[in-house]
Amino acid sequence: MVNHDCTCKDNPLVPQLCKVIKITQETPDVQTYRVQTLDGKRPFTPMPGQLGMFSLLGVGEAMFSVTAYGEDWIETSIKKTGMLTDAFHEMAEGQQIGVRGPYGNHFPVDPCKGKDLLFIGGGIGLAPVRSFIRYAFAHRADYGKIDILYGSRSPADLVFKEDLFDNWPKEPDTAVHVTVDRGDETWEGNVGMVPGYLEELAFQPVNRKVILCGPPIMIKFTLQSLLKMGFSKEDCITTLEMRMKCGIGKCGRCNIGSKFVCLDGPVFTMAELDELPDEM
Amino acid sequence: MQLKRENLIPALRLLAAQGEILVPTAVDEKVSKFAPWDGSSAPDLALVNTTLPPKDTLFPHQEGMYRYKTAGEPSLEEIVEAPARILFGVRPCDARSIDCMDKVFLGDKYEDAFYARRRANVTVIAHTCAQTGPTCFCDSMGLSPAEAPSADLLLSDTETGWLVTAQTEKGEAVAALWKDLTAEGGEAAPAPACTLKTNMSDALAGTLVSRFEDPIWDEVCHACLGCGTCTYLCPTCYCFDINHEDHGGEGTQFRCWDSCMFSDYTRMAGGHNPRPSKKERLRNRYLHKLAYFKERYGQILCVGCGRCVGHCPSHLDITAFIDKAAERFGEGK
Repeated sequence: MVNHDCTCKDNPLVPQLCKVIKITQETPDVQTYRVQTLDGKRPFTPMPGQLGMFSLLGVGEAMFSVTAYGEDWIETSIKKTGMLTDAFHEMAEGQQIGVRGPYGNHFPVDPCKGKDLLFIGGGIGLAPVRSFIRYAFAHRADYGKIDILYGSRSPADLVFKEDLFDNWPKEPDTAVHVTVDRGDETWEGNVGMVPGYLEELAFQPVNRKVILCGPPIMIKFTLQSLLKMGFSKEDCITTLEMRMKCGIGKCGRCNIGSKFVCLDGPVFTMAELDELPDEM
Repeated sequence: MQLKRENLIPALRLLAAQGEILVPTAVDEKVSKFAPWDGSSAPDLALVNTTLPPKDTLFPHQEGMYRYKTAGEPSLEEIVEAPARILFGVRPCDARSIDCMDKVFLGDKYEDAFYARRRANVTVIAHTCAQTGPTCFCDSMGLSPAEAPSADLLLSDTETGWLVTAQTEKGEAVAALWKDLTAEGGEAAPAPACTLKTNMSDALAGTLVSRFEDPIWDEVCHACLGCGTCTYLCPTCYCFDINHEDHGGEGTQFRCWDSCMFSDYTRMAGGHNPRPSKKERLRNRYLHKLAYFKERYGQILCVGCGRCVGHCPSHLDITAFIDKAAERFGEGK
């Protein structure tokens, strides 16, 4: 499952210099960066769910999901949560950053063929899920009905609004369901947590795979709802995050039992996670 | 072939032309390590074990990865350093530890270029143990004080010197270099028994993983100070951090030893920590040594060198833990 096509062929720990060609302010604390090599190429070709190590020289380096790619760019979405991510949010378009990857396994795009897909995202957790959503639309004939269920704290915290409200609802045989924990005076959509809305929407667990990512507490209750609705843990697929330094299974810290999230993950089925020590 | 004791210095002199020789050296009354041979005196081959393992020869305590410039036109320049070195007098436990590090850094989907380059230029000359130290337990971990199968060359003690056994191509090159200094004869001394014995088994490794929530982990972690001495002195601990030294517009990205016993090790931006207390950290360390590494790489990550047992300021003893677990879970040999 691991893609060995790392951009830094001779030394996977040394990044290549790239430039940020576009910055999108998704929410007050989330930005999306479109990144390209200095000579105008796509830094690498990730599979959905794979990771990239992004660095600001002299500040730090961290692993983020590659949420999208195009002909000559990749995109990652970063939430302001600490020293490094604060520095990312200070960047201007044109800034040079270090990029290495892609790392880790990917969403099981082949085993999901012929199935209906239910994508569930919470908060910034939509970022990794989005890579598979885009892949599914790019290979539309391979998949059945597509449902996207997304929740955030408030309307202002919704990421990828253009996709959620303009692009994705136009796709064939696709429904987008957006909910917020707390609405505001202009919000006309659903108000409520993801698990409750999920049960209300009453998806049938027949020939359907679920791809979910979000904060741990949301995953916990969403999974409970999914199991109640009759989904099996084998059919529920998620992606994990963990502190990482190397990204290639050497530096040691992202292990859960004998698995490294950077190498054997980040994508696991809920059934696979049940086999690992409870240490997430 | 046998190398007689009086031929040791001439043998080392021949080797010195091939690269820097690192020999067991007492730095002061309390600390010994592998340090450059002075070119004239006989190394202390009775030291069992050096305080510091030889791992920093292959995996330096701090290692530059690349130099960068952020001012003006940003740039990156990889640091390539791979001096020719000979580790001389490595004990069987430490020789096995290098084998463990090879499994991590040379394989498992990605090769670590920094390690691989150094490794290619290092020759390991192991030396059997005529006697064992007060905290040695390698023979409980599947090793023998008289064998070091992964070393390039093995020196086995005899009455008058050492039997020389080449075990790899690099070792054969050394044996060829020494051919005028070696002669037939000599008999290797039998392997001594290790001082400490412990009841480790494959069955126990599996049981420990399945007893992830057992109170034994609360019991064992109480004394731990989280100082990291065990990981620092461990010949097989290979975790590292990546950081940088920045001098305003330019700097060096480096990696340095890290320790799974530190809370920062797994703490994420935002504050979540999957191993928030010393219980989770010690449990992970012991399980990594005794079970996880074997699941992944096929061999146990403890070589029984005894350094952690001898140097823990709280007297935590992994052999005592193993025995306690074996007794409690009924997995004794």
